[in-house]
Amino acid sequence: MILVEGLTKVFRRPRTFSGPFGALRTLVTRQHEETTAVDDVSFGIDEGEVIGYLGPNGAGKSTTIKILTGILTPTSGTVEVNGLVPWRDRSANARNVGVVFGQRSQLWWDLPLIESLRLVGSLYDVPAPRFETSLKKLRDLLGLDAFLDTPVRQLSLGQRMRGDLAAAVLYEPPLLYLDEPTVGLDVLAKEAVREFIVETNRLGRTTVVLTTHDLADVEALCKRIILIDHGRVLFDGAIDALVNQPRRLVVLLESEPEEVRGVPRDAEGRYVFEIHDDLPGMIASIAAEHAIRDMSIQEPDLESVIKGIYTR
Amino acid sequence: MTRIGFRLALAYRSNIIMTCVALVAQVFLLRMIWTSVYGSRPAAAGLTLDALLAYLTLANLQAFVTHTIVSRIIHDRIRTGMVFFDLARPVGYLRQMAGFQAGNTLGGLLLLAPVIPVVLLVGSITVPVNGAGYVITLVLGYVIAVQLALLISLIGFWTMEIGAVSLLYRLVSQFFAGTMVPLAFFPGFLGVVAEILPFKYMGYVPAAVYVGHISDISGPVVVELAWIAGLWGLLVLTWSRAHRRVVIQGG
Amino acid sequence: MAEVLRALRLYVMLQRASARGAMQYRMNTVIGILSGAIWQGTGFAFIWVVMHTFPSLAGWGLAEIAFLYGLRLTAHALAMIPLMSVNDIHWVVRNGEFDRFLLRPLNPLVQLMGNRMGIAQFGDLIVGVTLLAVAGRNAAVQWNVWLIAFCFIAIVGGALIEAAFFLALCSLSLRMVDTFALRVFVDDIFSKFGSYPMKIFGGAVEWLLTFVVPVAFVAYVPSSVVLGKLDGPWALVAPLLGVVLIVLAYLIWRRQLDHYQSVGH
Repeated sequence: MILVEGLTKVFRRPRTFSGPFGALRTLVTRQHEETTAVDDVSFGIDEGEVIGYLGPNGAGKSTTIKILTGILTPTSGTVEVNGLVPWRDRSANARNVGVVFGQRSQLWWDLPLIESLRLVGSLYDVPAPRFETSLKKLRDLLGLDAFLDTPVRQLSLGQRMRGDLAAAVLYEPPLLYLDEPTVGLDVLAKEAVREFIVETNRLGRTTVVLTTHDLADVEALCKRIILIDHGRVLFDGAIDALVNQPRRLVVLLESEPEEVRGVPRDAEGRYVFEIHDDLPGMIASIAAEHAIRDMSIQEPDLESVIKGIYTR
Repeated sequence: MTRIGFRLALAYRSNIIMTCVALVAQVFLLRMIWTSVYGSRPAAAGLTLDALLAYLTLANLQAFVTHTIVSRIIHDRIRTGMVFFDLARPVGYLRQMAGFQAGNTLGGLLLLAPVIPVVLLVGSITVPVNGAGYVITLVLGYVIAVQLALLISLIGFWTMEIGAVSLLYRLVSQFFAGTMVPLAFFPGFLGVVAEILPFKYMGYVPAAVYVGHISDISGPVVVELAWIAGLWGLLVLTWSRAHRRVVIQGG
Repeated sequence: MAEVLRALRLYVMLQRASARGAMQYRMNTVIGILSGAIWQGTGFAFIWVVMHTFPSLAGWGLAEIAFLYGLRLTAHALAMIPLMSVNDIHWVVRNGEFDRFLLRPLNPLVQLMGNRMGIAQFGDLIVGVTLLAVAGRNAAVQWNVWLIAFCFIAIVGGALIEAAFFLALCSLSLRMVDTFALRVFVDDIFSKFGSYPMKIFGGAVEWLLTFVVPVAFVAYVPSSVVLGKLDGPWALVAPLLGVVLIVLAYLIWRRQLDHYQSVGH
């Protein structure tokens, strides 16, 4: 579905000048400032996958998405989305993809939601009968009926997001880019958005590329993630492989020896053991040698694993 | 407030510079039009071409100087609620706003200074016939301009929207100030209206004193003072109502 | 061709949507049109007052000047009514709205134009057409079908010239160069100098206004032809120039679009 090879984007900006003729000088200057936002990135995404495209702020996520959607032209590298080069076949590519920006709505502010959806339908040349079936399906799936006739500016954030999702899939694109679709939403609204993404992926085999800072989204939706920082891919693979690490037993002891069974005391005075099979036996043998003050079991979680990768 | 107004003028200097360029273009345009219509005539309506060109150059410079932005600022501050900070200050609201406008005008003057020679070159100027009289009538005219602008802005306390009103005010005041045509040329009814309205003191009267078209300034000065007194009374009255309205309704 | 018709249909649809949105601010619409009309009205009042005392301006009578003024104003209104929302381009690029235009299968310029209509310019249109009608009857012109047809072509040509300059300057905003102040100035040149016989400026300025910023071709040259002050062959220069310039402006727009860098990475 998506094939990216050696993708690099260097932003060249003319130096900006201030002052009376600043605009003019900016226009004619030969001085440039360069920043590499994406640096030799390669990956492939198959049809029907739901991918988490993750990275801290400024890592190059948005730039990649903007290249994949055809907004930006890359400096070098090749991209093929559904057989098209996005920035060269911008218009054709647009019909293949739905895009939701959590921070910005594409709906018409002053018009009722239904009118925005009709406009989107026309812009993408959706024939009337197909529009009606599509709309009916979305009304059920997203519960749009309650606010279909409300001007968008009066919608709550959660309602607006559901409207934006509807607008993005109205013309049934095989590929969906979701840029922070749950940002600022309450727990219930987040749940609704996630359910919708699962359903869309299941029913239409829609490929989904999701960027988010909420790892609960990723855990609920994605089997695979691509981690990016400073414009480079740090990890590309199944979440299971990341999370599939042993649970850990954390123990506090009355006496605080230097080490217990080969495990040294950490800075907080704890002893952390990896649990392999026999947990009761492990506890029993520690208890036989030392007086235990407290203990707990840590499940491996995505957040700490990812944090570990960034700081590596 | 005076300092803020001054700094604001400097902050938007690229806008002001464009306005200056437009001012030069305007003066040039007027010069060409009037030179063309005068043709070989020595004088019309008691003005020689030289006096007329000097008049127009001055009147346009004055229009630039007496241009007030205080209405827009007041409007913005009402809309964003900043007006409550203004009201909380120990200095009277009107005085703050007048101070703001004065500072802004000073800043504008500073930026205008390098342009003046260009304007005078493109236009044309003569030695003042009555320099002192010019300054007196112009300063009084400026006071009237600020008073009127404040009065217009106070409408915003009732309507919350004065964009159209202030645009309309600017157009009408500029036209009747005689920036493009001296009042002496206004025909019939239009001339009577222009005579009665106070806008002529911002443009026509001082410039006409300068070029010697008006020789005795005692009459105009008395009328200007009367306008100032009258407008001052009206302002105080309107403000006390507007203030009460803000206090009662909380904006 | 089908693509052009589709763009036109969608443009009308977007424009109607924005009009429906704007209907909620009906008072602003009325005030916008009125202030446009009054603005232009005072502009012409100046000419009227001057020509009350002096019947001739460089050999042009009041009716003739009014015709020239009306022609320019109508061309200006026709250029700006559809293009007014392109004036917001700097803001549209900055807040990321322009990204969305690139994500839809419709020319981004058409989408930008569809954002809103130039409301105040309807006021210009009213004053311009009124002046043309009144002046056309009072000036010494033998009207026939061809001459009227020529007026229409000339107005469109003039509108294209002005639109071309406007579009070319706006397109620089795609590279984050704000040309707003410059646009105001160019508009000022067109509106101030375009409404008078070029002859009064003389020499260098007349040359500048003819060949560098071709203000003369917007209304002066076509009006001169209509009023019998200039020979026929000049008649088609203005519309042709309009077509050439708008094509050129669109090429500039396309070139700037290729360099579009979006905001925030």
